Amino acid sequence: MSPPGNQDDTGSWEIRIDKEADIVAVRQQVRELAKELRFDQFGVAALTTAASELSRNVWVHAQKGVARISMLRNGNRVGVELEFVDHGPGIADLDRALAGGYSTAKSLGLGLSGTRRLVDEFNIDSQPGRGTKVVIRKWKKEY
Amino acid sequence: MAAGQIPILRIGTTLLATIQIELHDTVVDSFQNDVLEEIEKTGAKGLIVDISALETVDSYVARMLANTAKMAKLMGTETVIVGMRPAVAATLVRMGYFMEGINTALSLEEGLQLQARQSNGTVE
Amino acid sequence: MEQGDGENVEFTRLTPNLQGGPMHQARQPDYMEILKLDEDELKRRLAFYELTDEDFKRLKSLKSFADRWTNDIIEGLYELIMGQPESRAFFPDQATLNRVKKLQNSYFLGLFVGTYDLGYVRDRLRVGMAHERIGMPPKLYLGAYRRYLALIHARLQEHFKENASEAAKALDSIRKIIFFDMALAIETYIAAYLETMTRHQAAIRELSTPVIKVYDRVLLLPIVGTVDTQRAHQIMETVLVQVVEQQAKVMILDIAGVPVVDTKVADHILKTTAAVQLLGAQTILTGISASVARTVVQLGLEITRMHTRSKLSEGIELALSIVGKKITSKQDRSESEGV
Repeated sequence: MSPPGNQDDTGSWEIRIDKEADIVAVRQQVRELAKELRFDQFGVAALTTAASELSRNVWVHAQKGVARISMLRNGNRVGVELEFVDHGPGIADLDRALAGGYSTAKSLGLGLSGTRRLVDEFNIDSQPGRGTKVVIRKWKKEY
Repeated sequence: MAAGQIPILRIGTTLLATIQIELHDTVVDSFQNDVLEEIEKTGAKGLIVDISALETVDSYVARMLANTAKMAKLMGTETVIVGMRPAVAATLVRMGYFMEGINTALSLEEGLQLQARQSNGTVE
Repeated sequence: MEQGDGENVEFTRLTPNLQGGPMHQARQPDYMEILKLDEDELKRRLAFYELTDEDFKRLKSLKSFADRWTNDIIEGLYELIMGQPESRAFFPDQATLNRVKKLQNSYFLGLFVGTYDLGYVRDRLRVGMAHERIGMPPKLYLGAYRRYLALIHARLQEHFKENASEAAKALDSIRKIIFFDMALAIETYIAAYLETMTRHQAAIRELSTPVIKVYDRVLLLPIVGTVDTQRAHQIMETVLVQVVEQQAKVMILDIAGVPVVDTKVADHILKTTAAVQLLGAQTILTGISASVARTVVQLGLEITRMHTRSKLSEGIELALSIVGKKITSKQDRSESEGV
């Protein structure tokens, strides 16, 4: 695995998002990690798609930000955590942004509600004028 | 310019575009341009977009495909998306993206059959 | 000392796709990790069991007592175990018994070692694991501990002769550490049961989604039993994979065996149907009872837009017509063939 971003010793990667191609980079890194951790195809797709949506949000709304990708372990459970941070305009109406589907207000078009349904844990912190931070986690199915 | 990165073949009156690379803005723009230019040039009645190589289809790509189909339709061409992977279908639906109004088929063969039926006016 | 790493805790799934050959046994899981036994947890436990430095000093000072009486106490313990047919069954031969007595001996002496750190904990967990693995039930295991305490109590009184208060203090410290150990032992049982259950659940889930090929490019999935979110996910995934693998044009979902069809279940069915459609195939929903039909409309659920039939046989007929086939009776055919 040759990550485009920086990897530290704890099994996490950081990828700067400041051009559109970085979305692809984040996606590829997440996909590789999910496959290495042996998520099944549906888990890989969910993580990769969520990563793609959230990095695109950073690119489209803030033009600059960072994605942090890490491995999680809890007992014998294994998972992935993704964090997306930007100092863009922030989201004024979080409830609305989280509630909407794709058929609603194009102006928001953040796809956050959809992304949320793909993961196990979803946390968002956003201040208009200060920026946005989204942290998601997905655990591998335990069998 | 990223022109020609997505190969477009002609099969009778149908165009077949096979997407095998990661999609981002310049690729998408040139893809749509190329497709529409080819339709204009050849007068194709059908467009088949093969996405069997795509492991990830997010809302951006889904919108792109839907828009491409709309653009083609304006020029009188029906589009069929073929080869969607199980995980892609599951993810789109779980996100709430049902891609209504888009024709899909299991394979290129099925896609061609669907288009033949459509141009004979036997499909609603 | 085994480190818990990803490799250690992988299970091999039981799937019908195994080509034959040996099934891997799951590697021994790391109970330290499962029970989240780290320094903090250790501190918390020692506090709750009120194990202080004073107790540790006292236990260490009882080492000579332990050395003197260990054989006696172990014999007393196994007198009980071998005296009851149920517990005796776990020690079928002398060799096994001897080996176990030796282990028990080092376990007993271990109580007085004086250092109660994560290494000590790991050691104790192994003891619990060993008993769980041979199938000894907790009731017997705990009963043995009680016997231990009774035997120790008697010997302590002898050891400290007139000094009743010292004997009481010693017993108190010993009891604390024994209860501490028992907790660990019981937890390994629980962890082991949970894992077995999880594995069984996985196997049941695999078996509970049998996709059947009714005809060329026509698949059928009879759904039987309650459909919770996890099962619904698994059903969708299995269905989608099979549709692509078999290049099925029609997927029949029979829900006659689903006891309750509420908004949630209907939503799962809708999503699965939508996903099948995205692949380029169609879904037919069959087994719709009168009460389900009522509920669906009353709740305003959208499954009225799908192909639906009450009987499975009707669904199969519809599916066949979609793939261009028809069921005719043999009589019709022979007539038309002029026989």
